[in-house]
Amino acid sequence: MDYLSEGLIRAFVLLFSGDAETFSAVFTTLKASTMSMMASLVLGIPAGFLLGYFDFSGKRQIRAIVDTLLALPTVVVGLFVYALISRRGPFGDFGLLFTIPGIAIAQTILVLPIIISLTATAIEGLDRRLKITLLALGARGRQIAMTSLLEARYAVLIAAVTAYGRAISEVGVSMMIGGNIKWHSRTITTAIALETGKGEFAMGIALGIVLLSLAFAVNFILITLKRKS
Amino acid sequence: MSPGQIYTLENLIYSYDGTFTLRIPEFTIPRGASIGMVGPNGGGKSTLLRLLAFLEAPDDGTMYFDGVRVDPADASPRKHVTILLQEPYLLKRTVFENVAYGLKVRNQRTHLAARVHEALSIVGLPPADFAHRRWYALSGGEAQRVSLAARLVLRPKVLILDEPTASVDQQSAFLIKEAITTMRTTFETTLIIASHDLIWLNSVTEQIYKIYDGCIVGYAAENLIDGPWVHDDDGLARRILPDGQRIFTATPPARETATALLNPSDIMLALEKPAGLSARNILRGSITHMTMENMSDKMLVVVDVGTLNLTSRITREAAESLQLLPGTSVLTIFKASALHWQ
Repeated sequence: MDYLSEGLIRAFVLLFSGDAETFSAVFTTLKASTMSMMASLVLGIPAGFLLGYFDFSGKRQIRAIVDTLLALPTVVVGLFVYALISRRGPFGDFGLLFTIPGIAIAQTILVLPIIISLTATAIEGLDRRLKITLLALGARGRQIAMTSLLEARYAVLIAAVTAYGRAISEVGVSMMIGGNIKWHSRTITTAIALETGKGEFAMGIALGIVLLSLAFAVNFILITLKRKS
Repeated sequence: MSPGQIYTLENLIYSYDGTFTLRIPEFTIPRGASIGMVGPNGGGKSTLLRLLAFLEAPDDGTMYFDGVRVDPADASPRKHVTILLQEPYLLKRTVFENVAYGLKVRNQRTHLAARVHEALSIVGLPPADFAHRRWYALSGGEAQRVSLAARLVLRPKVLILDEPTASVDQQSAFLIKEAITTMRTTFETTLIIASHDLIWLNSVTEQIYKIYDGCIVGYAAENLIDGPWVHDDDGLARRILPDGQRIFTATPPARETATALLNPSDIMLALEKPAGLSARNILRGSITHMTMENMSDKMLVVVDVGTLNLTSRITREAAESLQLLPGTSVLTIFKASALHWQ
């Protein structure tokens, strides 16, 4: 058991000494997840709002597809995106394979259903009195839509935080699309997988602590938002 | 259509779910009036209020608002009418932002803060204490008054209130009454209020209509007598009350469960059976409460007759000479022909 306690001590040394390789993985994770979150929020919030706010033919079918994609396996997304951006794929010329933007694209596909589905649920769950109240106060189409979205803001933020938790903790996409290249596309999760395989627990534990801290921060924000909403 | 009317409804029909239909052949509301609506739940009060607030469009018929025929596709009349729901909904914002919302969507930002503070003061919420409170830091009565302030700040031509005192304390009910009375006297706002609280409604309105089964059946005190009605051999129909007393009608109902209407002025009260009486219905009961009727010198006396409440309209002098008090045992007397069918 000594190797575990030694690993833990060395993990703290790596973290507090600002070990470059450890922090390279942390920053890669943050870069990729930030890019994917920005893209998925820009696409997902309007799509989720449209899905939750309006009634149209095929809505239930679209909703069923989006909800099914909540359980999308990361390796399937990895396979799909790999096929698209590899040299032989239709987007091969963009040189996205084994890059952080490549990881971000795949993560966007992974978390987009979460944003769309939870935003739609938030909008559908708005109090039925809201629309009548807004009409009574003189609001019109776009004003009612924007106010409705603002009323659901805490629930939409919960969707974003939930999606972020999924993005930072996934390993399949980062491994397949990023390629786990040291100093370049190695993320926290791929680094932990690699270091554990090598029997090097110190960096794995150090990165695990960072990941757990991030997960804790995300969860703390979630709890706070749920209380507010 | 008279120019003095803010609303004129003609042959209005509105149905929903295929189970309920509101029918109003003709109805007018004078500009600046304060009218009330009472009636059992599901009778159509809220539906009528939503039509008057232009939140719904009728299936058929014509509405005139402020002298102009209402086009359902035109949202402009809605700017002048606002409705306060029974259960208020506050936006997840501060009290100030809630009250200011209607002005902002109308792009009326001049003296915004002053107008919001004025509206809060009218409903008895000091702006210094309440303006920056969050929506969840309010009691039920305070939330209702914030909602009212959000309507008052718009200075509407018509203010519609649906059960405004149903879930508030006595003080809030009093402050709501003060606020809407101030609006009416200051801005000549027409008030249309539905409520089960007849005493409160009496204190803020000059005319109260009864809505029942999708129709305006008369004024507030109108008696409604539900079936089952049984046909008699002599051509009359009768309703047997739980205590065995009977109510007779001169004309048979269309169906066993029909509702008969009885004008309170057609009910005479007596302590003993008068001699030489031709009225067929003489029922013993006891007075449950008495109140002065709005805008008249008449009294409304409610008598509990075999679990049925009958309201009689009598003069104050008659009440004094009979020495009527709540609890007094009296005879309610009315002709079979006084009952007519809904």
